[in-house]
Amino acid sequence: MEPLRLIPYRHFDAYTNMALDEAIMESVRAGRSAPTVRLYGWTPSAISIGYFQGLHYEVNLAACRAAGVDVVRRLTGGGAVYHDTAGEVTYSLIAPERLYPRDILASYRIICGYVVEALRELGLEAEFQPINDIAVGGRKISGNAQTRRGGVLLQHGTVLYRVDVETMFSLLTVSEVKVSDKVIQSVKKRVTSLAEYITAPREALIVALEHAFSRGQAVERGDYTPAELARAAALAETKYRTEAWIALR
Amino acid sequence: MTHNTALYKVPGGKLIRVDVTCSDRIEQVRITGDFFLHPEETLEALEAALTGVPLPLDRAALAARLAAILTQQEATLFGATPEDLVAALTAAIIQA
Repeated sequence: MEPLRLIPYRHFDAYTNMALDEAIMESVRAGRSAPTVRLYGWTPSAISIGYFQGLHYEVNLAACRAAGVDVVRRLTGGGAVYHDTAGEVTYSLIAPERLYPRDILASYRIICGYVVEALRELGLEAEFQPINDIAVGGRKISGNAQTRRGGVLLQHGTVLYRVDVETMFSLLTVSEVKVSDKVIQSVKKRVTSLAEYITAPREALIVALEHAFSRGQAVERGDYTPAELARAAALAETKYRTEAWIALR
Repeated sequence: MTHNTALYKVPGGKLIRVDVTCSDRIEQVRITGDFFLHPEETLEALEAALTGVPLPLDRAALAARLAAILTQQEATLFGATPEDLVAALTAAIIQA
């Protein structure tokens, strides 16, 4: 079995991040690349919305523009996520679909299991919460999303190092919900982050994720190929940055 | 023709928003939300199935039709059921 390619943490802008996921899906599909796990951050901070979300219903575009926060649409379903440059670590796992169960929930359980293991290594009592969340003490610390296209599975997820609920609210729309103190307190009760439990720096989370994704399999630390980087640069410009894609729904 | 939108929270699940334009039938419908649907293209088939449906809705029949599409396309919907989609659609139509 081919060793997993583990690409160490780097940060990119939101459009390049999503384009890299797609570029690697292409190279895995073509057999040019091994199954891959990459760890990354988002610079500048960004909002990513799910494939099925309505852009104008979810995001306060003016607030994002004013704050210099990018807005990108993912290939995967799920909700709107705030990716704070210094507040989280994101992973993407890209592999042939046949390496994972056909049952999507079963595959979520396996892949989220790596993140659960990383958090447990850091001393947190993390648990997988179907369909796609990881929680500590019933509070969400990681959201994950998966798509399968052309025989390739992509699952990506964020793990919260430190969360700023007030900033997050200011960037998302509030049409249905009044942003009262009560609502903010209620969200804070449902969401948690690593910093609430341990004083370790964000790098500790990166290391723990690398350990967890490497456990029990042959792993090769690698890098993006020049072709993947070039393809991602093209996709970022021709797809992910375009109005047609961002405002798809 | 009237247009309206409704936001429907699935108990223990995700959020579905429906935008609908109707006359004596559904002229146009758009479903958005934070649910998951595999394969993703199935949403177009679901929206197409709802387009042209006469009002008032036969909710049970419509839910069954959506479920049949999911089965036919070997599709999986997470965070909502066909009944939830019909409930969200009904909420939008009532307000339109």
